[in-house]
Amino acid sequence: MATFPVLSTMANGLSVFRTWMDAVGDNLANLNTVRRTDEAAFQARYVVAEAVDYGNAATPGIGTGSRVAGVAFGSAEGRLVHDPDHPLADADGMVRLPDIDMATQMTQLIQAQRGYQANLAVVDRARDAYLAALQIGR
Amino acid sequence: MHDVTMSALHHALRGLSARQRTIADNIANLETPGFLAGRVDFESSLSAAVRAGDPDTSTVSTSRSMDPTGVNGNNVNLDQETLSLIETDLRYQMTSQAVSNKFGLLRTAINGGR
Amino acid sequence: MPVGPVTGVSSAILTPLTSLADTASTSAATGTRPSGFGDAVIGALDDLSATHRSADALATRAATGQLADVHDYTIAATEASLATELTVAVRNKAVEAFTSIMNMPL
Repeated sequence: MATFPVLSTMANGLSVFRTWMDAVGDNLANLNTVRRTDEAAFQARYVVAEAVDYGNAATPGIGTGSRVAGVAFGSAEGRLVHDPDHPLADADGMVRLPDIDMATQMTQLIQAQRGYQANLAVVDRARDAYLAALQIGR
Repeated sequence: MHDVTMSALHHALRGLSARQRTIADNIANLETPGFLAGRVDFESSLSAAVRAGDPDTSTVSTSRSMDPTGVNGNNVNLDQETLSLIETDLRYQMTSQAVSNKFGLLRTAINGGR
Repeated sequence: MPVGPVTGVSSAILTPLTSLADTASTSAATGTRPSGFGDAVIGALDDLSATHRSADALATRAATGQLADVHDYTIAATEASLATELTVAVRNKAVEAFTSIMNMPL
């Protein structure tokens, strides 16, 4: 969007926060995913964000937002829990659970949501500014 | 009365309204499995036609987005569509205002300022 | 009463007019624009087609999506509109003045 550049910047940013919320959702949904001890545990997903650029030909010095560079995976160790009645338990009655802390994930969720709403607020203000520019001379 | 600029503005309005309809289609199909988002491009054709001096040769082309799809084969990104909708809306306002302004200049000359 | 040739038109009327013409020609010759409202008006009249062209160019760039600063177009469009109204107003006044002179009883 060469016209109204702020809007394309915000589109990038909103996608990053939405992906972050998706990742946290995935982590929380798999909080109790049980695996065998000889397999890797469910690994927490961490979204890695990067800036799109630090200024380009059209806007020197001013970047155009952020994007998801990739996803990093947490520890595959998990924690071993004693649960002999579980169908996947090994000879010692142990199963492997992921090493995800609900409190940390909830904090991340709040941060992601605040970031998303902040980006939306920028979109609103930018739209008002552009409408004001269109009113010049009327 | 219908000079090059007016023609270019008219074609821009057509392209923008095609884009609006495509965005509406994309948003309606947010959860449709296997749906690929539609994309409208009229800017490249229009700027080439304007450079060549004849905006009437520009076309509006629609295509399917090749963005990565989710699990169900759907690749509509709600944030991008929403912002694209806002941008299209603002550009439509600006372009129609430009058309009004041009007609207004003619009217001023015709009415002699009265 | 016999109508004689118009002679000796008072220099009191002509001198200010000729001096105004002199100022205009000197400033045109030297290319300077002494500041003032009158010169702003004359400048706007001269640039009328230029403002139209620049507003058109910006409108075309806006139509093809290359204009990042929307206010550039709206300001240029306002200038073109005001310059047109100014030209029309000046023309109307000139016509009015001419008509009233022609209607003067001799």
